[in-house]
Amino acid sequence: MIQVTNLFKQYGELIAVDHISFDIYDGELFGLLGPNGAGKTTTINMMVGALSPNEGSVTINNEGFPTEPDVRKRIGNAPQSLALYDELTAEENLAFFGRLYHLRGKELEKRVMYALELAGLVDRKKDRISTFSGGMKRRINFACAVVHNPEVLFLDEPTVGVDPQSRNLIFERIEELKNQGRTIVYTTHYMEEAQRLCDRVAIVDHGKILALDTVENLITTYGGTSVIEAELESLPDESINLPGRLVGLHLRVETDTPLEDAMHLVESGVRFRTLRIDRADLETVFLNLTGRRLRD
Amino acid sequence: MNSILFLALKDLRLLARDKFGLFWVIAFPLLMALFFGAIFSSGESGASRLSIAVVNESSSSVAKQFVEQLQQSSALSIRYMSHDSARTLVGMGKLAAFVELSDSAKQASSFFLKDMPVIKVGIDPKRKAESGYLQGILTQAYFVLMQQQIMNPAKIQQAVDDLILQIDSSSTINPETKAVMKRFFSSLKQFTEYLSINGADSSSSFLEASPFASPPIEMEEISVDVDKPRSSFEITFPQGLLWGLLGVTMAFAMSIVQERTKGTYLRLRIAPITRAQILAGKGLASFLACVLISVILMTIAKLVFGVRVVNPAGLALAVVCTAVCFSGIVMLVSVMGRTEQAVAGAGWAIMLVQSMVGGGMVPLMFMPSWMKVLSNFSAVKWGIYAFEGAIWRGFSLHDMIFPLVVLTMIGVVTFTIGVTILMRYEQ
Ligand SMILES: Nc1ncnc2c1ncn2[C@@H]1O[C@H](COP(=O)(O)OP(=O)(O)O)[C@@H](O)[C@H]1O
Ligand SMILES: [Mg+2]
Repeated sequence: MIQVTNLFKQYGELIAVDHISFDIYDGELFGLLGPNGAGKTTTINMMVGALSPNEGSVTINNEGFPTEPDVRKRIGNAPQSLALYDELTAEENLAFFGRLYHLRGKELEKRVMYALELAGLVDRKKDRISTFSGGMKRRINFACAVVHNPEVLFLDEPTVGVDPQSRNLIFERIEELKNQGRTIVYTTHYMEEAQRLCDRVAIVDHGKILALDTVENLITTYGGTSVIEAELESLPDESINLPGRLVGLHLRVETDTPLEDAMHLVESGVRFRTLRIDRADLETVFLNLTGRRLRD
Repeated sequence: MNSILFLALKDLRLLARDKFGLFWVIAFPLLMALFFGAIFSSGESGASRLSIAVVNESSSSVAKQFVEQLQQSSALSIRYMSHDSARTLVGMGKLAAFVELSDSAKQASSFFLKDMPVIKVGIDPKRKAESGYLQGILTQAYFVLMQQQIMNPAKIQQAVDDLILQIDSSSTINPETKAVMKRFFSSLKQFTEYLSINGADSSSSFLEASPFASPPIEMEEISVDVDKPRSSFEITFPQGLLWGLLGVTMAFAMSIVQERTKGTYLRLRIAPITRAQILAGKGLASFLACVLISVILMTIAKLVFGVRVVNPAGLALAVVCTAVCFSGIVMLVSVMGRTEQAVAGAGWAIMLVQSMVGGGMVPLMFMPSWMKVLSNFSAVKWGIYAFEGAIWRGFSLHDMIFPLVVLTMIGVVTFTIGVTILMRYEQ
């Protein structure tokens, strides 16, 4: 378990992280969702022990601070910036970071190979990073965090600026790693990603946590109503009690239970020509919490 | 220790792959040394000529003729001067040798060149090749002169004809004496005709056989003081070397900023190694690169350009201490800004000023005195000074202690300041 207690970080006047606390359970995929400048990277850097907080503390696996060598060995971090040596090859980068974690010889070779496969770049292992596309660099940046087989993995916006294929590959790999029982902390400003991957999500803005729960619960609690929009084939019988508003053949229903309502309409004999259900999502949740959209 | 070395090797590998960086580190300094070395040396003398001083204090005409003969030699570049200045310049190594002709020296016992003084040659005993070469040229000039004096058959025949005519027309000589004289001079004429028919062959063999033909050369050993540069490369190579070290400094300062801005430094910081190990790795990498550049450039200087190393142990210490100095400066320069552009701008500005006042452009020995005072604030000056000390200034180890301590101090102080600022950046 990772425990974050009352973490606070200030740069001059600017408060980057404002007294936040949360726990992350073992084997969980935990998301930090928030716009640029929300304080996600600052939080991660304090959690991995690269930055010392002004107040508060982080303990990992109840063992202690992330600055202790024993704890450090178990942590992997893929920084938001592409933290690679451009003039080294993919293989050399992985081997270098593997050695930093005291891997040697056969074991190192095996882990480097594993990481190359994870990144889907085995055939490019002898090429320098400077010759890679943005997506390939992201994948190696991600693989470098995993090369030493860490129990806890921090991924800071691992899909920024990548092509759809690379993004899908990274998603699949993250799910694989989670299925192996690893604890993963994932930051993003893409709500679709948080929604797809994360068990629980903390919504952060201006250094504060606005809400923290499973995606379902967040939507139920803060998402507000869903909307059913439908074109009917014909005007229904007078006897059917239609919810919402009917204008001509166009029906619009605001409801907390859209699926159930749609089923009920079908059962009572209403025929749809088209049907669309707009469910609340994390975007709506963020909008409702802050009055702003996630991406401006 | 293992981790430190491993970190350092990564940095050296990155430097080796940076073609542009390598240019500034090796090619540019070498070009500087060669370019300015060539410019300065062409001003001194034609490279292939032997520069000598001629001191002619003899009043005899034969000495004058001898000097004229030397003047015609294409192998010599001659400057005329007094005995004292000739001695000084040879003693400083500025001129290869001096040749002196003086009436006070004992007369050569030459039958043919009557008033020829002894030829005195002053030369550094270490210059064996030049000494032999010069003696050859002197001998040749002496022979030519001798030959002109005694072995011009046409001249002699003309003189004999004139003489016979005079004897013929003389009214004061009685006829019997006239007859004896005419017979004597006629046979002399026949003898010279015989000589001219058989040509130079007979004359040279005659000269070689002659017991008094070897030229009266007297050698004097003049030991050259070591504390003067003997070739311009002895000045320009330490300069070039310091440019190389500035190149290394900038390359590594930039690599540190890049680690910070790209985030690889973040990876290093959260790995199970200490900050001290990371910094030591950086320091070791720049230290090794500095040492490597110094060794490469000094090897080229010594093997190809004949730059002397008067004090090898001193040179080794100079290499080590300048490497310490500039490794420290790497750390300081790397924190002079948060972005690569800021560090590159500030870094080169500092490097160029240091080089300008420190003798990287105008050699220290040519600086006006006020600039020499200013130069004490430049790490480049102490670097060049230490290298020159070991190369040609003839410093003993004791003389070298001061510049070496200054260099080490600069290294330690700048490293400490750099690390302190870096730690502030990290917060
Ligand atoms: N080293 C720093 N110095 C000054 N301000 C910083 C520094 N790092 C981050 N900040 C500021 O802290 C806030 C949070 O930044 P960050 O944690 O990077 O946000 P996010 O990762 O969510 O985009 C931003 O306003 C940013 O400008
Ligand atoms: Mg960020």
